[in-house]
Amino acid sequence: MYPAAFRYYRAATLEEAASILSQAGDEARPLAGGQSLIPLMKLRLVRPALLVDLNSIPGLSSIKSEQGVVRIGALARHAQLADSELSQLIPILHDCAAGIADAQVRSRGTIGGSLAEADPSGDWAPVMLALSAEVRTQNSKQQRTIALGDFLKDAYTTALANGELVREVAVKVPAKNSGGAYIAFKRCASVYASASAAVQLTMADRSTCEQAHIYLGCVGLVPLHATAAEAELRGRELTKERISAAAEAAMEAAAPHSDMRGSAEYKKVLVKHVVKKGLEVSLRRSRGEQVEVSHEYVGRI
Amino acid sequence: MSKKETFVGESKTAGKWVGRPLPRLEDARLVQGQGVFADDYKLEGMLYLQLERSPYAHARITRVDVSKAAAAPGVVCTLTGAELPSISHPFPEIGPGAGQKVEDYALAINKVRYQGEPVAAVVAESRHAAEDAAELVEVDYDPLPVVMTPEDALQSDSLLHDEAGTNRMWHDVFEFGEVDKAFQEALHIVHIGRLHFHRFSSTPLENNVVVGQWNIKEKRIQYFSNQQFPAFAAQFLSPALGVRIDQIGMRSIDIGGGFGIKITSYPYMALCALASRKTGGRPVKWTETRTEHMLASAHGNERTFYDTRVALDANGVITAIESRHIDDCGAYPRYEPLGCIIWAQVLPGVNRLKNIRIDFSQVVTNKCPVGPNRGYSRMQHLWFLERVLDICGHALGIPGDVMRLRNYILPEQFPYTTPNGCVYDSGNYPKMLEVAKELVGWDEWKKKQKEAAAEGRMIGLGIGTTLDSGTNNFGQARIVNAYAPYSGQSKAANIKLDIYGELVLSMGSVPQGQGHETTAAQVVADVLGINPEHLNVRPGFDTEQNVYTGHTGTYASQFAVTGLSAIHGAALKLRAEMSRLAAFALKAQEEELEFGVGAQGPQVSVKNTDKAINYWRLANLVNLNNAELPQSFEDITLNCRYVYKAPFEVPDVKRKYGNLTLTYAAQLHAAVLEVNSETFQPKILAYACVDDCGRAINPLIVEGQVHGGTAHGIGGALMEDCRYDSEGNMLTSTFSDYTPITPMNMPDLRYGHVESPSPFSYNGAKGMGEGGGAPLHALSAALQDALYPRGIVVTDSHNTGDSIFQLFERARQGTEAPVVRVERPRGPR
Repeated sequence: MYPAAFRYYRAATLEEAASILSQAGDEARPLAGGQSLIPLMKLRLVRPALLVDLNSIPGLSSIKSEQGVVRIGALARHAQLADSELSQLIPILHDCAAGIADAQVRSRGTIGGSLAEADPSGDWAPVMLALSAEVRTQNSKQQRTIALGDFLKDAYTTALANGELVREVAVKVPAKNSGGAYIAFKRCASVYASASAAVQLTMADRSTCEQAHIYLGCVGLVPLHATAAEAELRGRELTKERISAAAEAAMEAAAPHSDMRGSAEYKKVLVKHVVKKGLEVSLRRSRGEQVEVSHEYVGRI
Repeated sequence: MSKKETFVGESKTAGKWVGRPLPRLEDARLVQGQGVFADDYKLEGMLYLQLERSPYAHARITRVDVSKAAAAPGVVCTLTGAELPSISHPFPEIGPGAGQKVEDYALAINKVRYQGEPVAAVVAESRHAAEDAAELVEVDYDPLPVVMTPEDALQSDSLLHDEAGTNRMWHDVFEFGEVDKAFQEALHIVHIGRLHFHRFSSTPLENNVVVGQWNIKEKRIQYFSNQQFPAFAAQFLSPALGVRIDQIGMRSIDIGGGFGIKITSYPYMALCALASRKTGGRPVKWTETRTEHMLASAHGNERTFYDTRVALDANGVITAIESRHIDDCGAYPRYEPLGCIIWAQVLPGVNRLKNIRIDFSQVVTNKCPVGPNRGYSRMQHLWFLERVLDICGHALGIPGDVMRLRNYILPEQFPYTTPNGCVYDSGNYPKMLEVAKELVGWDEWKKKQKEAAAEGRMIGLGIGTTLDSGTNNFGQARIVNAYAPYSGQSKAANIKLDIYGELVLSMGSVPQGQGHETTAAQVVADVLGINPEHLNVRPGFDTEQNVYTGHTGTYASQFAVTGLSAIHGAALKLRAEMSRLAAFALKAQEEELEFGVGAQGPQVSVKNTDKAINYWRLANLVNLNNAELPQSFEDITLNCRYVYKAPFEVPDVKRKYGNLTLTYAAQLHAAVLEVNSETFQPKILAYACVDDCGRAINPLIVEGQVHGGTAHGIGGALMEDCRYDSEGNMLTSTFSDYTPITPMNMPDLRYGHVESPSPFSYNGAKGMGEGGGAPLHALSAALQDALYPRGIVVTDSHNTGDSIFQLFERARQGTEAPVVRVERPRGPR
């Protein structure tokens, strides 16, 4: 119920936080929104000796759009993203942000924290991969930019070195002829999904697919890139049958295991569903249709 | 939520306040954060107790070492199982035979029997210190084979309680009517394979909390807790702690939900007292975490139904049922084996069924002990009966609504005596069905169902008719154990006119969110012709107010009958005293008096005159100025205690026959759902709940209770399941895994009310808070209706997208024996 004893430091700048973390090594953890870290500490599954709080660092939660690139500060909260004008521009961000857990989690949890946690069931990673996002990081001396695909190494493991923190996430605003969607299927509002899919389509014309990005969440150690499903679609007319075939291909790519969120076989069934629905919605959105979707669960399906 | 109300039947609004949808008086306090919950309660010098719990479901304890914990900073004392036999006794056991041999102490002694069982306690100056020190407790275990299913329990050599010699704690056969004859005469016999009612809980918002202090100088144990049945807990604590009942004080103010799960918290209460005594009498608080609550508070009873045979006539009327039921009570019986009789309160359900033979057992398994969870024991049995009805209906091609109308007890048959002697007070099930069908749009959905089926969609319609039997006769305990010293049912209340004329009510109930303060004020306001706000209702429960009997607590759907009858009786007594006094003071005849509210507030006046006496003056005459009163008034105290005793007799133990409950509220739910063809997830398309709790004291509170019970049932049906793996590890010890229902998961509810006043309660009311699990019945029915065309029979009370997918997979593989077999002993017609 109460965490083991720890020291607490409120950092004034990201550089300072990085410097303290690099000196403290494994004993220290940065605190962003705390929505994973605090519950783990409460259960004493994680016992950092030092917490370096990033929440008072100015400017870390801004969301800016410049020259077709959106820069999202690491401490931008889910709720902030859900309410941002960007959601109009990039609806997949809204699909994801507005359905994460509950209002309390959304107003504390951050995008940078979510990506750095690299939970296999995290919502942001597949979405940001579908948007080909880059992560800008910072240590005590310098910054670097890492493609998100390279940033996510394994379950709970990223390319971040000791004393290196996420500064911002950057994505290109998708073209006009593009449409995306994020569908997460879960058992109730406040839990991780059983299966999720992020889809971003770029269309050559009304019905021919030019480019498809499909990433699956919760069914592998990192978000799975459904390349076979993408290949089904690329350069082809997106008929009902084509979409089903792509969803089937995605299902084959999934490598889930059984747990309380569902049996492995059932999660595969769900992958097919979320990919299919993601493709259908993406296609409609690419044609300029307004479609409301978000996380699905009992009572909200 | 969209909503449509329907009121049917006679609405006896005899009083000015009773029967009105008065907003709850306690809500202002609660929504402003002014409630006093047990964890809010703090005392000078209070210590904190932390438990070390077993990671194993079944293991011998080979070593417990608390020396490092005892030496940790802030630690005041520790407790281990080994000490307990020298400082306490085992808790009493209700069960006979093997059950009497179970030794249940507040800490595990030689072995642990479920994951999360407390093994040692650490008591420290702060909660942090207690938690830090508890990590230093060293325990060695030698794991034993686990017993996880009823089949294991009966067949395994592994015994939970070696001293009992068996895992079967209770067994008997309930037989009524002429079962064999009915089967001989049956036109159809339907055989049904294994049915299973799953284990789930209530997860009240507030976990268990105990503050206990063993005051050594005063020789008293004082509790401030959220125990919901203090009289029961005291009867377990007194012999275990070796103190008299009157040395145990129990108090609660606000409780954040109980649902029966807080009845069996007495082991934790004992630990706080023992720890307090060890520290020389300092108060000790224990606050349960959510994980502890999920692992080791109490779960609802799990029940499996085997080898069911059903005899039916040509019209689908069920003439006999024969079946074998095994109830799984977890590691320790505690409130059990009362559940082995409580289902018999509703033996035939809502049906005219006469011939029944049920072989009933209860077993212990390596899971959390059960507690009387909302709908306790009747819900499991009613679900079974409703499944039988729908399975037979589908097998014979008779729709669910028609099956019900053919089997229901008819309105003109009330009061209706069941085969085992229970007397159903009143009801009108066909009317409820009519209202529910109208509310849910039954006929339109039937059409849509057909159209959807043509497109390959799976829509199902289901009905659940259930009973919420309330005001239990404790005499039924004698059917499970002939020596049980219990019978009847009673509640006490006290109302007084205090020194300055304040009207003060002490309720003998333990409210947990049911709005007792409001309904009590409505009753008293009508008796005295005043407004509810003129009455000071003391919140919560306190033994010091001397308003308890051995049955005191809030459980078993009864406050509207027992609690309010006691309050009504006390108010009438006070009114009679006030009337005598006022007649003396006003020099008038009692018949000329009128109780009401005047310019100075509540008063008694002489009709058609300006002569009146206010409450201050009346109270003054007795309390502070009594030389003015003649000797003949010496019996008047203006402090009136009344005990309501429900009109019960002791049941016939041999025949298992007698009236086991006083009132029978009914709930009828109608559900329409669709099974998604991609995800197999059921989605509720329309939902109606109709309740009949006799006369509603406060329709707003009744509707609120119906909403709560409906949510709980939908949660149980579609989301909540206490799951264990094959080693006895609980897989649902957090809310992320258990996924309790929240408003986000709720469908729109359409609500209707039918009123069949009870002839057995003074006010025509019936207790109704538990609800009888109607959503489990209705959703299982609707699901089966959707899946039966695909050859799938719903055999479990818990169904998720995943489990429905597994049903399809098994049906596809076609490897399993069919669940249902129809036999026509007299050949095809």
